[in-house]
Amino acid sequence: MKFLTTTALLLIPAVACAQAPAAKKLPYVYTKWKQFTKADGLPNDHIFAVKSDGDRLWVGTEGGLALIDKKTGKVKSWTEKDGLPFRVVTGIDIDPKTGDVWLALFGGGLARFSAGRFDHWHQLNSGLVNDVVYGVAVENNNVWAATTAGASRMNMVTGEWTIFTEKNAPMEEIWNYGVHYRDGKVHLAVWGSGVLEYDIATERWKDYLDPDAEMEIDLYRDDGIVHVITTGANYVDKVLWVSTYFGVCRYDGRNWRAFYNMDSGIPSDFNNNLRARSGNEAWFATDKGLGGIMDAATNTWVAYTRDPKSNTGKAIVSRDKTVLETVEMGLNLPHNYIIAIDTDGNDIFVGTAKGLAWGIGDGYYAGVKERPRIITENRSKAK
Amino acid sequence: MKPLLLALLCVSLFAEDAPKKASPPAKQPLVPAGVEVDAGTLEILRRINAVGPYEVPDLRLKRETNYAHTSTDLEPYGGIKPYKEHFLTQMEYTGPGRTIPEPTDLKTVKIGFIGPIQSTVSIATGGKSHEEALGVKMLAGARLAIEEANAKGGYLRRKLPFELAVVNDNGLWGSTGNEVVKFAYTEPVWAILGTIDSANSHIAIRVALKAEIVMMNSGDTDPTFIETNIPWTMRCIGDDRQMGYMMIDYIMRKMQYKRIGIVRSSNRYGRFGVREIRDSSRRLGHPVAIEMAYKVGLDDYSLQIDRLQEANVDAIVHWGDAREGAIILKQLRARGMNQPYFCSDRAVSKEFTNLAGAAAEGVIAGFPWDPEARNPRFDAFRERYKKRFNEEPETYAAHAYDGMNMLIWAVQVAGLNRAKIRDILATRSKPWPGATGDIPFSAVLDDAGEVFLARFEKGAWHYYSREQLQIPRGYIPVRERVARGLETEEKK
Repeated sequence: MKFLTTTALLLIPAVACAQAPAAKKLPYVYTKWKQFTKADGLPNDHIFAVKSDGDRLWVGTEGGLALIDKKTGKVKSWTEKDGLPFRVVTGIDIDPKTGDVWLALFGGGLARFSAGRFDHWHQLNSGLVNDVVYGVAVENNNVWAATTAGASRMNMVTGEWTIFTEKNAPMEEIWNYGVHYRDGKVHLAVWGSGVLEYDIATERWKDYLDPDAEMEIDLYRDDGIVHVITTGANYVDKVLWVSTYFGVCRYDGRNWRAFYNMDSGIPSDFNNNLRARSGNEAWFATDKGLGGIMDAATNTWVAYTRDPKSNTGKAIVSRDKTVLETVEMGLNLPHNYIIAIDTDGNDIFVGTAKGLAWGIGDGYYAGVKERPRIITENRSKAK
Repeated sequence: MKPLLLALLCVSLFAEDAPKKASPPAKQPLVPAGVEVDAGTLEILRRINAVGPYEVPDLRLKRETNYAHTSTDLEPYGGIKPYKEHFLTQMEYTGPGRTIPEPTDLKTVKIGFIGPIQSTVSIATGGKSHEEALGVKMLAGARLAIEEANAKGGYLRRKLPFELAVVNDNGLWGSTGNEVVKFAYTEPVWAILGTIDSANSHIAIRVALKAEIVMMNSGDTDPTFIETNIPWTMRCIGDDRQMGYMMIDYIMRKMQYKRIGIVRSSNRYGRFGVREIRDSSRRLGHPVAIEMAYKVGLDDYSLQIDRLQEANVDAIVHWGDAREGAIILKQLRARGMNQPYFCSDRAVSKEFTNLAGAAAEGVIAGFPWDPEARNPRFDAFRERYKKRFNEEPETYAAHAYDGMNMLIWAVQVAGLNRAKIRDILATRSKPWPGATGDIPFSAVLDDAGEVFLARFEKGAWHYYSREQLQIPRGYIPVRERVARGLETEEKK
């Protein structure tokens, strides 16, 4: 096993449990983590995209594409020398019908990796509106690209392209940042234009904007999107989750709820991206650690950070701003600057500015449940 | 007990060994001789040099209590305590970039320039581009700064020349993003100066954030440019928010005009430029009577002027380029409409006064600096600029000169590391002593310095500060809005 495995050294003996406070309703905490870096074969430590696909994990980096075999831990990588059209891979999605891997290239356009071959679409050979592509999403027979100058959609059967800009969509600005498809809706996170929702059945757009329309304030917490400069949008269980550089929010179709560092357990208001696992659970890539809201109904969070001076990390469980539990563990995240997240089954995959983390969700459960607190206050005892 | 004894023995051995070691080589100074740094910057440099890749240095982040010198009566939703205020605490970079080592195989130290310098197609006009006149001046200012730095020895740590890597800000189909990607990855530079068009500037800074490279802006006055929470974005020119505040204070608080008409370009410059004028008018109790937009490049503005005339306005504000501003002014006057005419800073140009002719007399424009100030730095710059380019420097040249000098200074202090260059600029404790005046950075790394009003009088522009014109302003609070009581509560 080339890759480094660190498992939190947890001690939950019966005696300790007996001394612990009464059980509370607490969320699941990831305590087993693996890390991957250049030393393990990644082409670059700066991770921009992660996408889990069964036993395979695709990783987009600042210096190429990588594939991790989850069973063996082996890493295979592709750079421009291997035919990758551009070195910076900022988004990945998988076509569920074909298994083709679609890549958003940051300045290089759009690529499809299929049967060992890269096909390349860019401004000069296709309807891709710009080569700076931040995100990619497969929707039925279409592939969507979120670019810095609008969104493009390619029909993979007919080869027809459609460009969406301010001319044919309610984009106040055209600076697309993220794209996500699920349950018949495409959501675009647009820098300066909030979130745009495209209904596949009706082919109609709907926009979500910050109701106060002011950049320097959020007037009311739960009145809508926290800010128009959005970085990601995920739609799961008919719930829309949104990340921004100013906080994050959730919309269940009727009510909005904003979450800030000052009123919740999210490590920072600066959010590069998100991944929603359900309508009740979502993960946020902040510049100061990984934040997971594990139970939206009770504002219960788990914030993961690594110790900057040692190979250890911790998770802080909180409800609103009250810390319920601090779980110290071995190394969890390679770095606290989080850029990309994916979840698959019980596991979580986290791309950081200096390596990849894989949280193994043995015994994972959704929401909160009564369990004893994890006793790790004194790691020296645990060791 | 044994490990303790062993440790003590080791300490003892090393202690005995210490005097036998060869003398370490003479310490390199933290900053090369000839580069001005104060104690605060040196301390920051020590801190950023000391951190490992997983640490975030304590950079003494700025904390402000008021965003953009906004008086209470001009704050949005002034009667309501907002749930959250942004932009008061300085943004920080928490990534690992500070530990990337300086490359050894360089022949030059490249700094990027992106600006509109060649004619192309413009999104703003839907036709020919329109900002080359400004971009060419901007390039000249930047070039002069690079040449002067090279005359003083270039990048002093390694005696390497600076090189200005220049690209045209085409703007078409978001090409600015492609250019910044090149600067970041394929033809790398250490920092970038640019650009002017607001839409293109926004595209550029989004790439800069992801690629982690400083983007210094010296020509885009759109207030929202800096309201993006990007720790890599800086601006060294006063923005339309500040100029708008001063102009509305002059128009409404000093001159007591009540009915304002706005005529503006339909592009982003016009749309966002008048925002503070429009909002402030409403907040002061006198909503703008009419706002008319036009497509850049028109010759006939009778439609807009008809509407302004019908609205019976006391004063007219134009936000757009010099050409359109002058043509509209002449057509207003030809119609017998002699209301005071206020403009954005782009009117302060030969193009405007040449086109407007006698009608230019009395026009007032917001202006980001005071070219008439007794500033020896500007005098010296002006002489050198005239010698180099055989013409007077103007706004875009002067601010690009300042912005490029700030980048060069940061490179000299920080070394060749993009994150450290950012840190040094972001944490500068004193205002930058620029040719255009002192440039202090706010928490959002915007130029928080003074802005002015320019008035065309007897054939020349003259510049006035708020104090000189005795322009009143509203109360600027010293507490954050969320820490204040509601207005009604305070009265109790």
